[in-house]
Amino acid sequence: MQLRSLVVLVALFGFSFSVSAQKFYTKNGLLSFFSNTAFENIKADNNQVTSVLNTQTGELQFSLLNNAFHFKKALMEEHFNEDYMESKTYPKSSFKGSITNIKNVNFSKDGVYPVSVTGELSLHGVTKKISTTANISLKGGKISGAAKFSITLADYQIKIDDTVKDSIAKTIEITVSCLYDQKL
Amino acid sequence: MATSTKKIIRISVVALVLAAVGLGLWMWNKPHKDIKNAHAIDITAEKLYQTFITDSAKAKTAYINQVLEVSGTVSQVSENQQQQQIIFINTGVTGASINCTMESKASSIKPGDQIRIKGVCSGYNSGDADMGLPGDVFLIRGYPTNN
Repeated sequence: MQLRSLVVLVALFGFSFSVSAQKFYTKNGLLSFFSNTAFENIKADNNQVTSVLNTQTGELQFSLLNNAFHFKKALMEEHFNEDYMESKTYPKSSFKGSITNIKNVNFSKDGVYPVSVTGELSLHGVTKKISTTANISLKGGKISGAAKFSITLADYQIKIDDTVKDSIAKTIEITVSCLYDQKL
Repeated sequence: MATSTKKIIRISVVALVLAAVGLGLWMWNKPHKDIKNAHAIDITAEKLYQTFITDSAKAKTAYINQVLEVSGTVSQVSENQQQQQIIFINTGVTGASINCTMESKASSIKPGDQIRIKGVCSGYNSGDADMGLPGDVFLIRGYPTNN
């Protein structure tokens, strides 16, 4: 092998290693939703959120299985999966987007960095563009991310029966919290 | 209408209303499935994972939302943000696990241990091929059955 080819190979290997070292992930992130009405508050948690963050490009992805949401009441969980989310037909929800100002985050210094996130949320067979603010936190070298935003159920073709329309809010608050403790 | 007939109708109506209210209350407060004492499908971590990879239609029908008792070798023990114990069981595929969120903590479990975990299978989340992340098969409401 010529020396030039060898140099190119070594450089390519070094480049791919440095890029891959910028990806952090979790498969046990937390996503909660909260529905607030005068009649009733409903909360559910999903602790099996897979998320990948590329700290160099800001690329950010989330995905979760809808039937892993846990409710306080078994009946609510049943209705969520069978009547509203239709988890058999639409088993997965996902987000694909990016942190648009990733350069504002200093990944070598502890702190809380406000960021802007934009991308496409796919839920119940409908994909819509969303934007929100979030915080990226660095603590002892560990990266975590947190965001809170709202979605309107009608935007995702989720229909609520007239009989329970006073118990379920039209707009649901979503909270996401991920500790990116694994490296790709 | 005779007084006795009216009385019977009145009692019947009250009984029906009480039964309907009772049924409604029972449904509303119905507890979650008792995983510890539920019948479970016995399967190894490798077989469970491979079924989802090679025949996802079969795996979805046979395993999703079912109580499974998965056996294998622990590869990682950690905690999620709600302080629930997370146990990864080795699937034989690098970076891919049976990802178990436990309902009760078992402090003695460590990587390398042989384990059996009973829980509800949520399915396979495919990770991200573009980013080079393999997927996991998820088990929720887990209990260790051999500790």
